[in-house]
Amino acid sequence: MSNYVILSQSAHKQTKVITERSEKYGDNIKYAATFPLEFRNIQACYPIFFSKSSDTGEFFPIALLGFEDAENLFLNESGWDATYIPMMVERHPFLIGYQVSSEAEEGKKPVVSIDMDNPRVNEDAGEALFEENAQPSEFLKYIMAKLESLHQGHEHSKGFISALTALDLLEPFTLEITLDNGSNNQLLGFYTINEEKLMQLDGDALAGLNTNGYLQPIYMAVASYARIRALIDKKNARLQ
Amino acid sequence: MSNSVNRIVIVGGGTAGWLSAGIIAAEHYSAENSVSEGFQLCLVESPDIPTIGVGEGTWPSMRTTLQKMGISETEFFRECSVSFKQGTQFHGWTTGGEDSYAHPFTLPHKYSENNLAAHWQSVRDQVKFADAVCPQSRLFNNKLAPKNIATPEYACNVNYGYHLDAGKFADFLRKHCVEKLGVVHISANMTAVNSADNGDIASITTDSHGAIEGDLFIDCSGSRSLLLGEYYGIPLVSKSHCLFNNCALAAQVPYQNPEDPIQSCTLSTAQSAGWIWDIGLPSRRGIGHTYSSAHKTEDGARVELLNYIATTAGEQAAADASIRKITFDPGHRAKFWHRNCVAIGMSSGFIEPLEASALVLVELSATMIAEQLPANRQIMDLVAKRFNNKFLYRWDRIIDFLKLHYVLTQRRDSEYWIDNCAASSIPDSLQELLDIWRYQAPWHRDTNHIDEMFPSASFQYVLYGMDFCTQTNPTRRRSDRETAKVAMALFSENAKRTEQLMASLPTNRELINKIYKYGFQKI
Repeated sequence: MSNYVILSQSAHKQTKVITERSEKYGDNIKYAATFPLEFRNIQACYPIFFSKSSDTGEFFPIALLGFEDAENLFLNESGWDATYIPMMVERHPFLIGYQVSSEAEEGKKPVVSIDMDNPRVNEDAGEALFEENAQPSEFLKYIMAKLESLHQGHEHSKGFISALTALDLLEPFTLEITLDNGSNNQLLGFYTINEEKLMQLDGDALAGLNTNGYLQPIYMAVASYARIRALIDKKNARLQ
Repeated sequence: MSNSVNRIVIVGGGTAGWLSAGIIAAEHYSAENSVSEGFQLCLVESPDIPTIGVGEGTWPSMRTTLQKMGISETEFFRECSVSFKQGTQFHGWTTGGEDSYAHPFTLPHKYSENNLAAHWQSVRDQVKFADAVCPQSRLFNNKLAPKNIATPEYACNVNYGYHLDAGKFADFLRKHCVEKLGVVHISANMTAVNSADNGDIASITTDSHGAIEGDLFIDCSGSRSLLLGEYYGIPLVSKSHCLFNNCALAAQVPYQNPEDPIQSCTLSTAQSAGWIWDIGLPSRRGIGHTYSSAHKTEDGARVELLNYIATTAGEQAAADASIRKITFDPGHRAKFWHRNCVAIGMSSGFIEPLEASALVLVELSATMIAEQLPANRQIMDLVAKRFNNKFLYRWDRIIDFLKLHYVLTQRRDSEYWIDNCAASSIPDSLQELLDIWRYQAPWHRDTNHIDEMFPSASFQYVLYGMDFCTQTNPTRRRSDRETAKVAMALFSENAKRTEQLMASLPTNRELINKIYKYGFQKI
C-alpha cells in the first residue's frame, strides 16, 4: 500500500529516490496512463489506446507496453529501453495535489507528496531531494516541472475525453495476434479511435476539436497504431 | 378520401400513454427527419386527472425499450429515482413461516442445452434451487448491483430491470417524446367521442382544443377505459374467481438513513389475505399491501401493512405513513382492439402487481402496434384480429403464472389461502401443466411460442422455490449418467462464477451514486 506524505525540506532532507527502471520498483506493467499533451513523444515509442477506469467508468488514454499482465516489453536487465518514458511512470514516487487556500482559483497552491512506502524511497542510494543548503536539488526541480505538466496534461485530457465520447469517436476493439511460435493471442478490453467516424466529421466538429487542441492528438493516436508491429516483434524476440 | 393510417391519437398520459407514444414514435420517426411522410402522433392528456402511478417495477425488456427510444440510461437514472431490479424474493408464500425463495431474471446456467432442475432434485436438501443454478439470487440477497460503472449503458453482468418512480417516469418520457421524437402533446379534457359512418371513431372532442381527428385511437385512459370500455362497450372479463386480490394500500416510506442499502430485488411477503410489496428506490421505499376484500377488511389489511412498515422501517415510519387506497376489478377486456381503437395499459385490463406484468404488457402492446401498424383501414381488421389473439393468449399465460404462486402454497391458516387452492379456482391449462410437472421438470417443450412472456425457467424458479416435487421417471434413460456428470460440473461452475461476481460487483447504492457522479459510457 502507498503512504503519501506532504514533501518538506525538514522531513525529507535525508531522503533519496532511486531512478533506475526495474521490475523490483514496479515498472513491469502492461500499460501506462498517458495524456494528449505527451502524445507526440508517446507515439514515437508506443501504441496509444484507451482504457476504462474500473472505479469511475471514465476513459483514459494509455501507452501499451506489453500484451499480458505484468509484461513490459521495454523493460530489460539494463533498464527501460525506449527514448521516452511516460510521465505517469516517471512521476513515481511523487504526486501533485492542490491546496485551496481561498475561494479564488489563483489561491490554489501546488502541494507535492511522496510515497514513503515506495521501494524507490530510501536514505542511501539515488537522487537527493534537497541540497546541503536546504535548497531543492536539480532532480527535485526536474520532478516538480514534470508534475506541473502532468497536472496540466490531466486537466486537458478530461476535455479531450469528453470531446471523444460526445462525438462517439471511441470504439472497443480486439487485437488478434499470431506469434512466431504459432500461438494465437487476443488483446481485449481496450478502446481505439473509430477512424470511419473520424473521417465523417463535418467542418464544424473538426474546427471545434482543433480549437481545443484535440485534433492533433487524435491523429497522433491513430498514427501510433503503427507501433503495434514493433511491440509484437519485441514479444517474438522474447519467445526465442 | 385516403384511408391510409397516418394519424394516431393516444388518449391518456401516464406511463402507459407516454411509453406507447415513445415506442411508436421511435419506430416511425427519425432524428434527422422529425416527421416522416404524413405521419402524426399526438397524445391528449387531461390536465385535471392525476395519474395513478402504479407499476414501479419493470422487466429486463425495459432496457431494450428505452434504448430503442434513444434514451440515455444515465439520464433515466438521474431523473426517475431508478434502482436496479434483479428479480423477486418471496417470503412466507409456502408455509407462512420463515420460508423464502428467489425468482431471479437470469436463466439457469446454460439453460438452452441443459435442464438442471431434474438434477437439482438429488441435492435439493443442501442448496436452494435458484442458488444452485444461477448467481443472481445470492447477488440480490446481498443488495449488490448487476453491473459495474465500467459496464456500458444497458449492458449487464447479470440480467436486470428497474424499480422506478412511476410519476417521474411519465414526466421524463413526456419530455423525451415531445422534444426528441416529435410527439404532439395536447393538454385537454376529452368531452365527446364522434363516430364515423362506418362505426369507427372519427374524432374526439376536447374542451380546449376542439375536435381531434385520427385514423387510429389508442386508449390509455386507465381503468375507466373511456374508448374501448365506455364508448364501445367491450366488457371486462373478470378473473376474480381465480385471482382474488382487488385492493391495494400503498405507502411511501423514507429510509432511516439516506445512505441505507437499496434492495436489488422486489420483496414480496405473503400476508393472511394477500401480500406486501417492498420496492427500494434510491430516495424512498414503495411499500404496499394488495389483498382480497372478500377475505379481509380494509382495517385488517391496514394493520398488516403498518406491522410490516414498523418491523422493517421502525415505529415512527409506521406512525407517519400516509396510505393511499386503490381498488381494481381483476380481469381484462374481452378484446383489446376493436374497429380503429386499441387499448393499452389498465384500460385493457389489470390483474394484480405480482410479477410486475403491467408495464411489460404496455411495452409488448405498443411494440406490436409499432411494428405492425396497418397501412390502411382495410388491413386494420386483420391486424386487430392477430393482436387480439396474441394478447388473449398472453393474458391467459399471465393468469396461469400468477396463479401458480398461490396453488403451490401449503398454508391453510386462512380462508384466502385455502380458497386459492380450490380446484374451481385453478384454470384447466394450469392444472394440466401441474399434472405433467409431477413427472417431468418444465423445460423448452412447455412453451408453445417463440415470444412467450414467461420462459419455462420462470416456472422452475417458482415450483422449486415452493418445494414442489417432480418425481424422476422410473425408467432410467441411457443418457442419465452422462447428463448427471454434466449437471454436477455446471453446478460447480455456477458456484465459482457466483463467488467471482460477489467479489467484483458494487452494492446497488454504490453503483447508483456513481451513476449520478460519472454516468455510464455508451460503449
